[in-house]
Amino acid sequence: MTRIIGCGTDHRGDDAAGLLVARELGEVAHSGDGLSLIEAWQGCDELILIDAVVTGAPPGEIVVWDGRRAPATASVFRSSSHTFGVAEALQLARLLDRLPASVTIFGIEAATFRIGASPSAPVAAAIERLVQRIKNLHAAPVAPDIHMNPGTVAKPVH
Amino acid sequence: MNGKTRTIRVDTLARVEGEGAILIKLNGDRVTDVKLRIYEPPRFFEAFLRGRHYSEVADITARICGICPIAYQMSAVHAIERALGVQIDPAIRMLRRLFYCGEWIESHALHVYMLHAPDFLGYQDVLAMAKDHREIVEQSLRLKKIGNHIVRVLGGREIHPISATVGGFSKTPSKQQLRSMRDDLRWALDASIATVKLVAGFEFPDFEQDYEFVALAHPDEYPFNEGRLVSNRGLNIDAAEYEDHFFEQHVKHSNSLHSVHRGSGSYLVGPLARFNLNFDKLPAPARQAAQDVGLVPPVKNPFRSIIVRAVELVFACAEALRIIEEYAPPASASAKVEVRRGVGQAITEAPRGILYHRYAVDDNGLIVTAKIVPPTSQNQKRIEDDLRDFAAQVAAWPLEEATWKCEQAVRNYDPCISCATHFLRVSIERT
Repeated sequence: MTRIIGCGTDHRGDDAAGLLVARELGEVAHSGDGLSLIEAWQGCDELILIDAVVTGAPPGEIVVWDGRRAPATASVFRSSSHTFGVAEALQLARLLDRLPASVTIFGIEAATFRIGASPSAPVAAAIERLVQRIKNLHAAPVAPDIHMNPGTVAKPVH
Repeated sequence: MNGKTRTIRVDTLARVEGEGAILIKLNGDRVTDVKLRIYEPPRFFEAFLRGRHYSEVADITARICGICPIAYQMSAVHAIERALGVQIDPAIRMLRRLFYCGEWIESHALHVYMLHAPDFLGYQDVLAMAKDHREIVEQSLRLKKIGNHIVRVLGGREIHPISATVGGFSKTPSKQQLRSMRDDLRWALDASIATVKLVAGFEFPDFEQDYEFVALAHPDEYPFNEGRLVSNRGLNIDAAEYEDHFFEQHVKHSNSLHSVHRGSGSYLVGPLARFNLNFDKLPAPARQAAQDVGLVPPVKNPFRSIIVRAVELVFACAEALRIIEEYAPPASASAKVEVRRGVGQAITEAPRGILYHRYAVDDNGLIVTAKIVPPTSQNQKRIEDDLRDFAAQVAAWPLEEATWKCEQAVRNYDPCISCATHFLRVSIERT
């Protein structure tokens, strides 16, 4: 089973990016609180995590990495103002064998975290591109269930 | 060491909620200056509550804190209920206690295991601790999840819950919904009792202070939402009298106001104060767990607050189980509210200590003035007083070790800096 979780904070500029992607996909929009995040991905074998990031890339660039392999540092994620956020959740889950078998992280390079601001134009565009990209990832038809009537359109697997 | 000046400096305090720093100046073994500097930006909640409808206050003030939103909601609804003369159903009162149990379990499980235990076990943080003490971290995660679940069932969601209203809740749970939490809470009760034993075995610095402990006290209950405000030095007042006895002062080095007890100075709120003033009101399993490890009031060593928090975890689990057994849903989720002009004050026990709210409401139910005094503002002056004495005790130590111990002395208070900015970095200067 795949779980898609978008993290962030509304009304804080580009920090809302992960939330907006998740909402548009009808998936889990999460505050980014590390401890409850570990709980939020329990039980899935494929995790797709989306968050605003600061890597030095141009604003709106989508960066992708394997969350099981590459250690994430707290300075990359900006979604939590407290000390235990997305990066710590990934590190702790790795130590506790609580990481799903597959972890893909999509980061959207942020330009502003100003309180009260809407996402910047490059990030708003990146949100749309990423929504489409994740839809495409999972749009491949799945083998029909033996009970499915002929002609039924297979739903994307989420 | 005589005449040698040093500085203990922590520019970003770790394992506390929010952003702050400590600066301690030493001349030989003499402490010449202590500053707990809270640089997290001010939040202005009291100002932007003005002009809002009373029914919005619980939802707005819940946003002050992601760790203790229920405390904010409870102090807010109780204060407004007093302003409007609203009487609540006894079943609503029980549900509010259960709601608070959820928040205490979440908050104390986080602080005891994740934030404070690494200090005693000698780890930089929980990630380093998890490599050697996986079971402790697993236990913490499970306990916190149980607390989260209570909050979600009563509040609609885990962070910034939404169901608390003036008069009650927007929706109340069924008996069955609450009963489904019993097995988890029975496990949590046993895990909390084991936690008391575990943390009581830690090594504590030899450090006691002559504190004024300030907490709510209720005739029959360990306090959450109700009671008079009392201290070990004779204070015994209603919430309406709070501002006659306590005032806030601005200090240049902090974005948080310092709260002071008129005529006597700093005071301590939170687990130590509650435990010392209400020990006889703890339910049997919590009292027993404390006595089994030799923890009896008065506890004057702030480093032992980790044991008291664990005892309060036992309390919160036992109290939640009691409420679930006795709960019968109220006839109505909320009492009828009639708008009238008035002023109301309330104090409730947030995990970190008392949280005071005052609201003046006009004829249309709009907020005219609001005042909020969070627990960390109340403890802030006391933290500086602790540091002043404790820094003298560790002044001769190697700087790195002294700095770490001073940080730990701040974490004794589980400060919530975000709430208080209305916080942490430590600097010790030897001049």
